[in-house]
Amino acid sequence: MISKKYIDKGTFSIEGLENIQINIGEIFEKDDWDEPVGPTPEPEIADLREWDYKLLDRYKPIYSPSCDMCCYCTYGKCDLTGNKEGACGIDLETHQARQSLFTCLTGASAHTAHARHLLNNFIERYGKDHPIDIGSSNVEAPLTRLIVGIRPKVIGDFIPVLDYIEEQITQMLATIHIGQEGSVNDFESKTLHAGMLDLIGMEVSDIVQMSCLGFPKSVENTPFAEIGMGVIDSNKPVILCIGHNVAAVTYIIDYMEEQELFDKIELAGICCTAHDMTRYDARAKIIGSMASQLRYIRSGIPDVIVVDEQCVRADVLKEAKKLRIPVIATNEKIMYGLPNRSLDDVNEILEDIVKGDDGAFILDYDKVGELVPKLAMKMHPIRRDMGYSAIPSKEEFKDLIESCVLCGNCQKACPTLLDVPRAMELAKDGDLTLFEELRGKCIGCGRCEFECPKDIPILNVIEKASMENIIKEKGLVRIGRGQMSDPEIREEGRNIVLGVTPGVIAIIGCPNYPEGSRDVYEVAEEMLQRGYIIVTSGCNALDLGLYKDKEGKTLYERYGSRFVKGNFINTGPCVSNAHIAGAAVKIANIFAKRNLRGNWEEIADYILNRVGAVGLAWGGYAQKAYSIGTGCNRLGVPVVVGPHGVKYRRSYIGRPYKKEEWEVYDARSGNLEPIECAPEHLFIAAETKAELMPLLAKLCIRPNDTHLGRSIKLTHYIELSEKYIGTLPDDWHTFIRTEGDLPLAKKETLLKILEHQHGWKIDWTKKKIIEGPIRKLDASWQPTNVERLCKVLER
Amino acid sequence: MASKSIDTTLNAVPFHANIPGPKSAKAIKPIVAGKLISKAKRPLLVVGSDILRNQSILEKAIKIGEKGIPIAATGDSLKGFLEYSKNLKVQIKYINLNALVSYLGDREWKGFDNKGNYDLIIFLANKYYYASQLMSLLKNFSKVKTISIDRYYYPNADMSFGNLKEEDFLQALDEMIDAIKG
Repeated sequence: MISKKYIDKGTFSIEGLENIQINIGEIFEKDDWDEPVGPTPEPEIADLREWDYKLLDRYKPIYSPSCDMCCYCTYGKCDLTGNKEGACGIDLETHQARQSLFTCLTGASAHTAHARHLLNNFIERYGKDHPIDIGSSNVEAPLTRLIVGIRPKVIGDFIPVLDYIEEQITQMLATIHIGQEGSVNDFESKTLHAGMLDLIGMEVSDIVQMSCLGFPKSVENTPFAEIGMGVIDSNKPVILCIGHNVAAVTYIIDYMEEQELFDKIELAGICCTAHDMTRYDARAKIIGSMASQLRYIRSGIPDVIVVDEQCVRADVLKEAKKLRIPVIATNEKIMYGLPNRSLDDVNEILEDIVKGDDGAFILDYDKVGELVPKLAMKMHPIRRDMGYSAIPSKEEFKDLIESCVLCGNCQKACPTLLDVPRAMELAKDGDLTLFEELRGKCIGCGRCEFECPKDIPILNVIEKASMENIIKEKGLVRIGRGQMSDPEIREEGRNIVLGVTPGVIAIIGCPNYPEGSRDVYEVAEEMLQRGYIIVTSGCNALDLGLYKDKEGKTLYERYGSRFVKGNFINTGPCVSNAHIAGAAVKIANIFAKRNLRGNWEEIADYILNRVGAVGLAWGGYAQKAYSIGTGCNRLGVPVVVGPHGVKYRRSYIGRPYKKEEWEVYDARSGNLEPIECAPEHLFIAAETKAELMPLLAKLCIRPNDTHLGRSIKLTHYIELSEKYIGTLPDDWHTFIRTEGDLPLAKKETLLKILEHQHGWKIDWTKKKIIEGPIRKLDASWQPTNVERLCKVLER
Repeated sequence: MASKSIDTTLNAVPFHANIPGPKSAKAIKPIVAGKLISKAKRPLLVVGSDILRNQSILEKAIKIGEKGIPIAATGDSLKGFLEYSKNLKVQIKYINLNALVSYLGDREWKGFDNKGNYDLIIFLANKYYYASQLMSLLKNFSKVKTISIDRYYYPNADMSFGNLKEEDFLQALDEMIDAIKG
């Protein structure tokens, strides 16, 4: 590996050896990075186990199984209900921990495989020595530096990084096999390891594409891209790209540019490919999040669909065939049984598809680039003449509504239990308002249709009923900017660590929202107004661009996009989540001067105790969201999921009533000292948006907050609790170390409550707290969970 | 003449393929639920955010609370209680349900009143898929018993009403409340 053995470039001779040929394969240049290597470069499974155990001791993993059985091996099925053991000796709790690892590995594999695909493609296209260029950052790859211990300069430097991740994933996947691990905490330690690896997989993906494809480079005020079902001119041929991997799509864009086709063809995307299309060329448009796939295909508007990888519906080809929309698969991860036409002539493929073939699987991206625009132009008049669309006409709509027998099966099948029967009932009387409301909450999965005894295409009915709104659905998204730059971290890192900026909230993940995407918009808006930094990515970043204020402006237009207090930043697709975690790492490095190189434990410890950041995956659905969240957890960043998130089946819950679990060392003295429960949980679900709001504020509190920072954070926690839960939070007083921590506007009232309800002693002449808090505030206090970091031990 | 008792054991079918395994909740009648709650030494009523959608159910929850059963208000359900009346004679606390089930599974937790963990958890007006999933923790990893007195059948509870029409559900709750000894 790069960090372990070096040989200088050039010629050399070995004396005394004759008739021997020495072949030297890869030559690594000696690294000129003089930062000392920390204790864990390229950590293997057990290397960060002690850190994991510290987290797991405080934040107990708890499991809520979806299934009480184990069906892994031929001994089974085994009934593990009540935490019984199965035939192999594993009990339900450990089996759930194994499931947690499996979920996390699946997510980490998806991102790492994505990174490998991009890297291979770019090395072939641009060469291994293509320089890394992500903008004005000296800390170009914080996670790679931190975890792998190297400082990459060219894209080829990421080859051993991916080798390392892939090897670790294989080792961990092996532990899922029967007869391997039997400890809950060791499964969870591996899960945290997988989550950490996922962070680097994402970092590699986005850095190589930012470096090779000319994406925006960590700058504010990137251009806007149009988003919405209503932004496409369906009178033109329409190309729809779905997935996460933009490699093939860039060839389509290049061809359209060369042939001057941008005013003749509409190029649109769904999900993270859409993010990256707009980063590559701002003329590309965004239809929406992954939830819009089925809806948009059924509109019949796309003339060609291009799929790559991740979060693409398994029935895209089936649905597209019904409407004569050809599908071009461009990645081995999704081939749909289509014929491999990679070696065939473009015009032959074109002709076959126009004549009736369903599509093609093509790995030659030059051919994809040429074929897809040509195909769109050929198919558009054919499809327009035939009037292909799954959306019912007015008459058909009426018949469908009338045919509903109100059995309620659709509601029982709906993941969010939407009241479709009531909407049908109202629609029978001509009232479509509930259908319009349901469209805002529907995740577009189509599960209801399979349960309908009358075969009503319910999704199509909802679309038809909401057509007026759909046409008007037009918004703006600020194009994904990539990293937070070093200058921004220098400017804002201090405010975050001191708590003057109340927190960083990363709104990430999928669109499996409990009550529709409007909730995340409202969360973002309120927290922005309160001065939190909102960072977003993936499908959430797209959904956030769909809502406007009274003046018709989206959040992206109304708030600044610099990484400073009260600003709103879109980093880009899912893989750009690495930059959000990377920002926390950069704060520790750039602001606090902590070494990064192979130094995970110290940096994570710093973040856990000082950086008020929290992740929010309100609509978390994919395994990737789980691995991203778990990677953040290992880095000391808590994550909140929506109510569907309990289906991930594992939470990390802190127990405030166990005082012995809330202690840290003061690094100056080496003494263990009690702390408030901050952050209280590491992975927790909230039931409603109203419950979420104060929880977000609370999880931004850190032991190291200054009194001013704590006062600001508590102001928001208390205000949000009063506004949304209706009362002061029960635990607000536990965060008070001194009267300076009290929210200024309520100081006197709260002092009275401390005295009368909690028995604290107050000196009313000076309005000072004499007795009560679990600890005093000491400005030079240095909290750490890692004993070896205590200075007294160093001495 | 007294109205006919509601049979809450019918239609005990899990919603949307929510089938956990060989052990599913026993469907029970309101009067049985009432008696079990009366017999419990440390019962706790968990009221979810769906209470905010229906004032009639909120009033039933208050009646249960007035029988001396402490209430854990999850999500933002507490707001509904506080807005209903400033002078409620019930013991009620806000708590996150994800955290609560974790604590209930821990014998060392002393409850809201510091007198010990609970022995019977009664679920009402919860977000179905959310509470159902979290009940599986109590089912598999705790000693507490659970009863769902919600409108829908919860297979992960120890005992549950079946799926009910709203009017039957409200009547069933009344029957159950009458059977609880205050």
